[in-house]
Amino acid sequence: MILTRKFRDGLFGILTLMPAALIVGICLLIPVVRTVGYSFLDYKLSRSASRVKPAFVGIKNYMKTIESGELWNSLVITVVFVFWVTLILFLMGMALSLLLSGVRRGGKVLRGIVLLPWITPTIISALLWTWIFQPQYGALNFVLKSAGILSENAAWLADPDLALPSIMTAAIWKQLPFMFLMLLAGLQGIPKELHEAAIIDGATPLQDFFAVTLPSLRNVIRTTILMTIIANFKQFPLFQIMTNGGPMNRTTNLAILSYRHAFGNLDFGSGAAVATVWLAILVVFSLVYGKIFPEGERE
Amino acid sequence: MKSDKAEPAKGRSIRSLSAIVKAGLPSKVEALFRAAIRFLILSAFLALLLFPLLWMLSSSFQSNEELYRSPPRWIPRSPMLGNYASIIASRDFLRYYINNFYVSLITAAITMLAAVFAGYSLSRFRNRLTTGISVTLLSTQMFPVIGIIIALYAFFRSLKMINTHAGLVLALTAASLPFCIWLIKGFFDDLPRSIEEAAEMDGCSRLGILFRIVLPLSKPGLLAIGIFTFMQAWDDYLYGLTLVVSDRLRTLSVGISLRYLGEVSYDWAQVTTISVVASIPVFFLFVFFQKYMIQGLTAGAVKG
Repeated sequence: MILTRKFRDGLFGILTLMPAALIVGICLLIPVVRTVGYSFLDYKLSRSASRVKPAFVGIKNYMKTIESGELWNSLVITVVFVFWVTLILFLMGMALSLLLSGVRRGGKVLRGIVLLPWITPTIISALLWTWIFQPQYGALNFVLKSAGILSENAAWLADPDLALPSIMTAAIWKQLPFMFLMLLAGLQGIPKELHEAAIIDGATPLQDFFAVTLPSLRNVIRTTILMTIIANFKQFPLFQIMTNGGPMNRTTNLAILSYRHAFGNLDFGSGAAVATVWLAILVVFSLVYGKIFPEGERE
Repeated sequence: MKSDKAEPAKGRSIRSLSAIVKAGLPSKVEALFRAAIRFLILSAFLALLLFPLLWMLSSSFQSNEELYRSPPRWIPRSPMLGNYASIIASRDFLRYYINNFYVSLITAAITMLAAVFAGYSLSRFRNRLTTGISVTLLSTQMFPVIGIIIALYAFFRSLKMINTHAGLVLALTAASLPFCIWLIKGFFDDLPRSIEEAAEMDGCSRLGILFRIVLPLSKPGLLAIGIFTFMQAWDDYLYGLTLVVSDRLRTLSVGISLRYLGEVSYDWAQVTTISVVASIPVFFLFVFFQKYMIQGLTAGAVKG
């Protein structure tokens, strides 16, 4: 009787897991493994119906993207983008959550308003900022010229030096609410007594922040920063809509590069090679991240 | 800064209120000053976050002639509904919109069902296998989407599932599932086992326990994953761009980017109007279900 129940429970456990496991396996896990395989093939999709069996070419796809310099270029752009976006997001999110956690009246309404960019669809965010950055009629140029900061219209998204920071602005705008929400939840989870004890011991607010607040937020910060880094590593729609990788490939991140090879040139091998390098970087990064910032004790 | 100067300087710029009270300085002035600074910084944040949305709304009520003048009219002088009328009359836009609803709803439904089963299984039956599966699920979050799509495209092509909503729904479901399973599993983990054990004693089957006891208790989690999946599917761009080819089946983001965004100049009155209309469903969801979304999202992360 006990055995059969255990057996039935086991069967139930496996059967209930199956649908999700099958979908994720077939549409996520296996494709990733196969893409890694494609990166070693000369796999070009022909528009005609006749299909040629892809031939094994070793690391030729990798060499091609390395030798042309585009892989390195995209890698640098991706890392620079992720670094600045994450850093600025964290600092701004921290400031905003500290400010709003002190608001008593209307705090909930304010929080709701602050979250609006987060739920705005990504390509709509891209369009909004493209409109704001518009060179002749854009709001930003008008405001900056009126304030005397700019003397001439800047072509934000078409200027090689300004394009990446412009996309960063849109990315930060879109993601600040999420960062804020996570940090606020963390802040609200800190017992009041901890702060009171620190103040009674004569700690300044700054000391209180570094000795009480930051350590208590450890796990939240760890998780949120990792999520932010991964999400921005994958950023595609903002780049595609706002600059499409230009000007002069100054905003061609790994996502754009891989897409361009695979679906622009229909060269799946090269696209897969870029995606594989990118995957490897993220895997190594997550492992290192886990080592450097181990999960703190749970209460 | 003023009150700092009035105080004997000790080299610190930020002082706690209590220290100032002890020193017998005008703490009220200091507090007022702090409140003012707070207010200013908070206003700056709000302006930054809200301006693009308000400007989108304002632009959608103006004609292109009005939009292309300097100085811009921040508030439309004579709000016109012409842009909205032409968008609603546009057959293409309506079709993309309906397609997007259809794909997002079905994706949300399938994801919820599969995530509930899997989350329950992973939460209640713990062994090496299920732990391994949990870790694998979480690690899929860092896969580059293009990396998935390249092989998925080839696979769907061989199955003749390219250019079908079924294929798109499957791909989007797979993309949403890991996060949703993880989220709902957290909710299940927090439920006390004693109720389930009592029900089991009474002869309730496992399936009965899940549907009659566990699910009603985890309604917030259920709502959260449903809304997240809907929003993620509504937001999708890359899957729709690659897996769907014909204009008839296109979803909203892709339809907008391919049909309404010209290479040289945009019809900004139209684009901002489209943006407003495209954001409406998720804004509505947010207004009604804000509580569950925030609860669902923060519960997992704060727990670690």
